[in-house]
Amino acid sequence: MILALLCVLCAGLLHGPFQAHAADVDELMRQGRDAMAEGRLEDAEAAYLAVPAPGAGDQEDEGEYASARMQVARLRLAREDYDGAVQAARDVLAHFSGHAEAKNLIASIERDRMPTWERFLKDCQRFLPSLLSGAAMTLLLVFCTIIISPVGGLIIALGRLSSFRVLRMPCWFIIWLFRGTPLLLQLFFIYYGLPSLGITLKPLTAALIGLGVNYSAYLAEIIRAGIESIPAGQMEAAKALGMTYGQAMRRVIIPQTYKRLIPPVANEFTALIKDTALVSTIAMVELMRAADQMFNTYFNVTAIILAGVIYLFFTTVFTFIFERIEERVGVYEKR
Amino acid sequence: MKNADATPLIECRNIRKHFGEHAALDDVSITVDRGDKVVIIGPSGSGKSTLLRSMNFLETIDSGEILFEGKPAGYRTVNGKLVLDNQKNLCALRTQIGMVFQQFNLFAHMTVLGNVMEGPVTVLGQQKAEARDLALEMLEKVGMADKAERYPATLSGGQKQRVAIARALAMRPKLMLFDEPTSALDPELVGEVFEAIKKLALEGMTMIIVTHNMGFAREVADSVAFMEDGRILLKDPPAEFFGKDCEQPRIKSFIDRIM
Repeated sequence: MILALLCVLCAGLLHGPFQAHAADVDELMRQGRDAMAEGRLEDAEAAYLAVPAPGAGDQEDEGEYASARMQVARLRLAREDYDGAVQAARDVLAHFSGHAEAKNLIASIERDRMPTWERFLKDCQRFLPSLLSGAAMTLLLVFCTIIISPVGGLIIALGRLSSFRVLRMPCWFIIWLFRGTPLLLQLFFIYYGLPSLGITLKPLTAALIGLGVNYSAYLAEIIRAGIESIPAGQMEAAKALGMTYGQAMRRVIIPQTYKRLIPPVANEFTALIKDTALVSTIAMVELMRAADQMFNTYFNVTAIILAGVIYLFFTTVFTFIFERIEERVGVYEKR
Repeated sequence: MKNADATPLIECRNIRKHFGEHAALDDVSITVDRGDKVVIIGPSGSGKSTLLRSMNFLETIDSGEILFEGKPAGYRTVNGKLVLDNQKNLCALRTQIGMVFQQFNLFAHMTVLGNVMEGPVTVLGQQKAEARDLALEMLEKVGMADKAERYPATLSGGQKQRVAIARALAMRPKLMLFDEPTSALDPELVGEVFEAIKKLALEGMTMIIVTHNMGFAREVADSVAFMEDGRILLKDPPAEFFGKDCEQPRIKSFIDRIM
């Protein structure tokens, strides 16, 4: 009974002053707005700062206090009083712990005041996970193409060198077609064009077909040139021993092309690492697409720079590996 | 040392070969018996090499007939036209005919031993160990066994040519064709290759040698043939060929020029 009475009393007591208080708040907010409109920024800040913190259970003025303090924070930020701005935002958070705008303001101020290297590290931490999973997809595309294209290239090259027209013409056609049109166009056709012919492919399948055939066509010409660069006497000597054409190719001619093939093939494969970026246009999330997504979400160029560094790392490792292979393969030519 | 078998080992009958308008072989016939050593001489462009390469089917003839051990070899007649036989038959023939080239044509990516083992292993299907013993034996014969692990690029011309001879011998051929075997060599290296071929001749190998080296012709040959403009003008034993009574002035002037 006494408790209930106390409650009613308290309610009455609290209600009285707060009616007047609410009126003050409206007045102060109006003063602030007017001062802002007239460019009296210091007066505006003073008015907004005077808006009192809401009491417990007071619902109506919550919004007013928060927006007033946020105005204070912005005004302080505008005159580069970062500590003050952060303090104002913290005031808001002290009463409304979920206030997103206040949080963002503090975060962005803290980020701006961070040393460059620390900010860069933070960005790396944020972007690397998705960039690395994109890079894994890029590597998968590169490795599959490196396995597919030399086989395809060799078949097309041998077809080109064949004495049978029925083999020579289609191989010539493949090289003509795939070297003569942009890879981007080929990828578009395979992924977006083939469905209209009733063939629908998954992005990865379409990407591997596009890269595989395109690189086979390029490697075919390199391999053909390599085979033709081997002196004719080698083939004659092999034939004179009684070897078949296949045996002569496998045992004598092709092994001697390896050393000559490595520099131009290394060149092609380095280009391949970068060309995989083109498949980002057919719904594949690889390194370039991942970087692009990060950039568009955060408008932060660090994502692009990081992707560049990863590409450079890949091409550097490749170049190194191919140099080692070249050293090993050519032993017999050293005197 | 001649084999009792009367059938010639290889016989070319009226073979013709044209490169465009030019007649490289113009109705050439030649018979080589087992154990024969035939030396073919003549000015360059006379068709010597073409004839030799035709016997190994590296060059395709336009008309005529080639018989190996009495049987028509290397060609089929389709609609009255001469067509090269299928690969299987050609390969089987070539395993019996060794060839040594002017430019050696050693397999650059294989060691000396690898070069000599290659034919027996890849073509004849011999076991590696067996082929290795055979290869070393052949290299011993040409005096190259101590260089077995070297690569061709590290050898002199004369050494390369001796390896090439060993490579051909490892196939145990019935006939050896030498296409100007010493023409690409420095003069001081000719002797070692000449010795290797002479040794082979003394063992009774049947061989046809295209050369400008008259020493070969005098010391090794059973008969010497002179070619010019795609024809064999004369084929005689060396004593008669080089004899003073050589009637054809063109041959005489050629021999005089060379010697």
